[in-house]
Amino acid sequence: MDIIVSVRKVPDTAEADVMVEKSGKDIEKSRLTFTINEWDNYAVEEAIQLKEKYGGTVTVITVGPKDVEDILRRSLAMGADKAIRVDMEDPEDAYTLANILSAVIKNQKFDLVLFGAQSGDFNRGVTGVLVARMLGITHAAMVNGIEVLDGSIKASRELEGGLNEVYDIKLPALFTIQTGINEPRYVSISGIRKARKKPLEVLTPSDLGIGSIEPMVRLDKMYLPPPGKLAEFIGGSTEEAAAKLASILKGKGVL
Amino acid sequence: MMEVEETNFDELYEVYACMQCGKCTGSCAVSLRSDFNIRELMRIAILGNNEDVKEHEEIWDCTSCGICTVRCPRDLKPSEVIVGLRSILVEEGEVPSTIRDALESIGNNNNPWGRPKSKRADWMKDLDVEVKNLSEGDEAEYLLYIGCTASYDTRIQKVSRAAVHVLTKLGVDFGVLGEEEPCCGSEARMMGESGLFEMLVEDNMNLFKDFGISKIITLSPHAYNTFTTDYKDYKKRLEEEGIEIPNLELDVKHYTQFLAELIEEGRLTSDMMNEFNKTVVYHDPCYLGKRNNIFKPPRKVLSIIPGINLVEFERREDRSLCCEGAGGRMWSEGTGTGERNAVIRVRDANTLNAEIITVACPFCLSTLEDGRSTAGYEESMEVKDIFEILDEVLK
Repeated sequence: MDIIVSVRKVPDTAEADVMVEKSGKDIEKSRLTFTINEWDNYAVEEAIQLKEKYGGTVTVITVGPKDVEDILRRSLAMGADKAIRVDMEDPEDAYTLANILSAVIKNQKFDLVLFGAQSGDFNRGVTGVLVARMLGITHAAMVNGIEVLDGSIKASRELEGGLNEVYDIKLPALFTIQTGINEPRYVSISGIRKARKKPLEVLTPSDLGIGSIEPMVRLDKMYLPPPGKLAEFIGGSTEEAAAKLASILKGKGVL
Repeated sequence: MMEVEETNFDELYEVYACMQCGKCTGSCAVSLRSDFNIRELMRIAILGNNEDVKEHEEIWDCTSCGICTVRCPRDLKPSEVIVGLRSILVEEGEVPSTIRDALESIGNNNNPWGRPKSKRADWMKDLDVEVKNLSEGDEAEYLLYIGCTASYDTRIQKVSRAAVHVLTKLGVDFGVLGEEEPCCGSEARMMGESGLFEMLVEDNMNLFKDFGISKIITLSPHAYNTFTTDYKDYKKRLEEEGIEIPNLELDVKHYTQFLAELIEEGRLTSDMMNEFNKTVVYHDPCYLGKRNNIFKPPRKVLSIIPGINLVEFERREDRSLCCEGAGGRMWSEGTGTGERNAVIRVRDANTLNAEIITVACPFCLSTLEDGRSTAGYEESMEVKDIFEILDEVLK
C-alpha cells in the first residue's frame, strides 16, 4: 500500500504564554518551540505501521520554508521512505494550502492519503477534507481506527458524545487521523541523523504549475479574548434556581 | 556515533569478563521490589541476544544508582551496560510513552518536564535579591547551575531560591543563566539516548564558552556527575568523529563541596549562624556518594550548624539506600510492587527520631517527600535540602 502523509510544523502552545504580535496579525513566535503537529505525528505513525504490516511506501509532504524540513527528517527517521517539501511560506488560508497539497499528491502514486484531523495552531480541521474533494476521492474525518480489508479499509470515526461510526471505504481514500489511534514511537537523534540519507525532494509552486491562488479566508485581526465579567453560579434546588434565573433575566430585560 | 543495533557489548563494556557471580543482583536497590535482575541482563549482553531486551520492560526500573558497579568484583560497569541495553530500545523507538515524552521534551524544550523554555526562569520571580544573569552580559566568577527539576518543580524551586540567598549572604560572586540555562543531559544519557546527549554536550560546551563560563557550582549531583565525567568522555568521542568541541577546562563542584571549601577558608563559620536545635539525618544521594565518593563535604557543612543533633542512617555513604529517583524513574513508575525505597528510608529516619531528613539532590527531595506523605509522617518530619537549612540558620 502506498501512503502519503501531509505534515505541518506548528508552535507548541500547550504551556507557553501566547501573545499577539504588534501587527495584530500573528502571535509572537520568538520564544516558542516548533514541532510536528501532534495529529500529524499520529498520522505518520499509522502510515508506518500499515507499511510495516502490508508493505508499500510512505511519502511525507509539507509546505513551508527550509526550516520546516526537520519535521520531514523526523518522519523519515520514523520509517517514511521519502519526503517532499514545497518551498514557499506556509499559507494561512486552508484553501490555498489544499490546492498546493493536492497538486503534489495527484502526481504521486498512492492508495491512501493521511492528514492529521486538525493542526494545533488554527484548529481548523478542513485542509484534509478540502484536498479529498480536490482529488475527487472518498474521505473520512476524525479516524481513530483502521483495519485493512481486500481493496478497502474499515475505518472507525470518532463522533461527539463517545459515539463511533464505522465505514467500509474503497481505496484510494483520504483519512484525517485523530490522536490516540496508536502510540507514536520515539525518534532518536541518531535515527534522525541517519535519515539524512533518505530522499527529500524540494519543489517550487511553479514546478507544480501553480500560479496565484485567491485565498478564501483572510486573517483580519488577532487578539486575546477580553477577560469576561464575573460569572455567577446559581445554586439551590431546580425550582429555586429556575426562579432566580428568571428574575435575573427579567431584571436585565431579556424576558 | 555508537551503532547500537550492532552493539558488541564486550567491546564497549568488557562483559566477557563477567563471571555471573550475582553480586550485582544481590546489591541492587530495585531488585528488592521488582523483577529487575541485573545478572540476567548482563547475560543477555554477554550472549549478544539484543532482541531479548524487548521482553524485559523492567529494564526501565533501574535507577542508575551505580551500586552494582561499585561492588562488581571484576571492576565491570553493569550500570553502564543497562544504559547500552536501553539505547537499543531507544534507537528502535520502543520506549514507554512517558520516557518518550521526557526525551522528546529534552529535544524540544531543553528540559524533560514538558515545560516551555520561556518559563525556565520562573523560579526567580519571587527572589528578593538581585542575581547576575550570565546570559545577559553580566560577569561572575561562578555559574550557579540550577538544573531542570529545580527550575520547574514548584517545591524544589524553593531550594534554588535558598541557594541564591545563601551564596549572596556568603558574598560569593556568582550568576545564573535564567531562561538560557540548558538541560545537562544526565537523565537523557541514563535513559539510553546517547545521540541526544552528544548534541547537548556539543551545544552546552559552546554555550559555556560563549558566556565565558568555566567555574560551575551545581545544585544537583546529577549535573555534577555528568559535567565532571560524561562530558569528558563524550568530548573525546565527538572529537574522534571530527566534531569540534571548545577546549574548556570546566571546574565543576557540587555545592556541598564548594561550601565545605568555604569552611576551610574560614568564610563559612558557626558564628554566622543561629542555633538550630533539631535532630537531622543526612541521606547520601547516589550520584554524590556511590558514584563520586563524596561523603564528607555535606556532613562537614551540617556539622558546623550550632545546636544541630546530627544522626546517621545505618545504611549510609556507599551503602546508602537509593531513593529510586534517577535513571529515568521520574518518568517511569517502574514495575515494582510493595513499599518504595523512599518509604523504607523515611521509616528508618523515624526510628532515629529524626525531625528532618536532609538531602543534597532534587530527585531525593522529591521522592523522600512523597515517601514521607505515604508513610504518614507529614506532621512529625520534614525533608529539606541542606541549602534550605543554611538559609534558615544564616544570620
